[in-house]
Amino acid sequence: MTKELRSNFHDQLAEIGEGIARMSAGVTELVPRSTQILLDGDLEAAEYVILGDDEYDATSIVFEERCFRVIALQAPVASDLRSLVSAIKIIADVERSADLCVNICKAARRIYGHELDANLRGVIQKMGDQATVLFKEATEAYLNLDGPRAAALHDMDSYLDDLQRQFIQIIFESHAAGNIDLQVAVQLAVVARFFERIGDHAVNVGDRVRYIVDGWVPAHPYAESDNEPPDVVDAGVDSGVDADGG
Amino acid sequence: MALVLVLLIGVVVGGAIGVLIARRAGRSRDDRGRAGSHGEPLKDDIPLSVDVDRETDAELARGLRSAVDRLQMGVVMCDATLKTTYRNAAANALIGTHGGVIVDAHLQQLFTDTQNGEPAGSIVELQGPPKTTFSIEAMPIPDGGAVATVEDISERVRIDSMRTDFVANISHELKTPVGAIAVLAEMLADEPDPTMINTLSSRVVDESHRAARTIDDLLELSRIESSHRLDDAVDLDTVVAEAVARGRMAADGRRVEVESIEAPDQVWIRADRPQLSSAIGNLVENAVKYSDDGGLVQVRIRRNERWVEVMVADQGVGIPAADLDRVFERFYRVDKARARQTGGTGLGLAIVRHVANNHGGVVSVQSKEGEGSTFAFRLPARLIVERPAETAPSGSRTTLLPTKVSMPDE
Repeated sequence: MTKELRSNFHDQLAEIGEGIARMSAGVTELVPRSTQILLDGDLEAAEYVILGDDEYDATSIVFEERCFRVIALQAPVASDLRSLVSAIKIIADVERSADLCVNICKAARRIYGHELDANLRGVIQKMGDQATVLFKEATEAYLNLDGPRAAALHDMDSYLDDLQRQFIQIIFESHAAGNIDLQVAVQLAVVARFFERIGDHAVNVGDRVRYIVDGWVPAHPYAESDNEPPDVVDAGVDSGVDADGG
Repeated sequence: MALVLVLLIGVVVGGAIGVLIARRAGRSRDDRGRAGSHGEPLKDDIPLSVDVDRETDAELARGLRSAVDRLQMGVVMCDATLKTTYRNAAANALIGTHGGVIVDAHLQQLFTDTQNGEPAGSIVELQGPPKTTFSIEAMPIPDGGAVATVEDISERVRIDSMRTDFVANISHELKTPVGAIAVLAEMLADEPDPTMINTLSSRVVDESHRAARTIDDLLELSRIESSHRLDDAVDLDTVVAEAVARGRMAADGRRVEVESIEAPDQVWIRADRPQLSSAIGNLVENAVKYSDDGGLVQVRIRRNERWVEVMVADQGVGIPAADLDRVFERFYRVDKARARQTGGTGLGLAIVRHVANNHGGVVSVQSKEGEGSTFAFRLPARLIVERPAETAPSGSRTTLLPTKVSMPDE
């Protein structure tokens, strides 16, 4: 009897893991697709991506619910509990990334018909590629529960951040040269932000994977002091260090 | 005392019985062993034929398993409850990648679809890079369950699209100038103004040259595709110097610097001279054409123990990543509007690739949009020859006059 219950429980865990991996793999495809849609001005494909987002939203709710139910009914402990708590957070990160891809497609609609400079296009492609690589690594790290691979995501993300800064600079130059108007410049700046956010979500997924594998949590200044947040109002920026000392 | 005696007798009798039983068992085992080793059938066992069947079945299963593992396509089986029961090596190789997750999701769907007794299939496209296309076919098995094959058809898809594009493009490339000539000729027929007649007729000449150029390049391409005459000893430096000289002329009023960085020692290779000169010429001309005003084109010869390489790098518009693997196709254009301005025929890079293939080499490109492109034309080091004695000393290297002037842009 007990054995049957436990095996049922592990089936449920596996199903949740599989569902999340599928969502995450789907977003890994969505990022390069959205990038290409933006570069080609492919409005039809943009429409598909925008409509397809409802499915991600629905799936994310379904799997979140399942996590809650398993936690409530099975009272999991240790790595099982860690993987379920992380699953809830990973679902949110993946779902949000799908939304960001939709936003990129919507931006493609708004800048439709405007020619972009070759160097603008070049950096968009690079940002798209880097965001794709980040998400692919995050997905596969989750799939294989590979802690070291997940840990490498931080460094990969800083390259994406650099690209975003570089891109903003090129937008200014292109705008100053009169090649793009203000409306397009603003849209592109926002698009850069979307790519950068996708990268951040991938890093978050990586952090959760590390938490599942060995309970690793990001170091916070006040992580040691009974998890009491510092008194932000009084102490300002350096308060974290103070709280740590005290 | 009596108690000890009883115990002793008990041990002795017990031991004797034990030894007897062990002997008997040993003998019967021996008999069987002997019978087996002489190949005599065992009368009171299960009939032999069933044993053999079972053994060959197991052997067959083992053989099949190892054969299916060697297939390039993935094979996946499921039972009547749609649970996966078998995956071959190729299907297992996909596990743990994001593509594998997507393929698995499709497999699950297809297995469900086969439950009505009909085969089902789907095509899965992965964005890559590199772009990959999988074709998945699932078939129901009569006893319940299903089997599916997962095949990577990326290459087939690529060749198919290349073929359709080629037909569309060649019609376009030839129709455009011919159509223009027809319209211009009609206008000429009704034109009284002599200056207008001059302009119109010069346009007719331009357009006919354009058509002729396309046909010339097509002919050259088919000639290169069929010929393998690698019997000239070619001085690579001279070929590059000629290409650079022609490239400078192609700059056509823009300030494009063409600079060649020569190898430390002269390299002679066994090659088809006109082909080589056409290939390197095309690379340099392309680099110049797609450079902006004030750009720099660098040509460099490098060699190691495996390759001789001519690298042509520019700082021009670059090639979008999506087009990168297609630029060597005949008539493939990244930017159709720009292609008309630069006046190329769309065959230059296809020629370069064929020349490289003919010589057992490869041509590759690295490019970032907005930063420029670098083409690497590599020939295998086995083509390197000792410098022939009868050729003139190194003075001839500086000759910049091309031996065969084929300038598409004059």
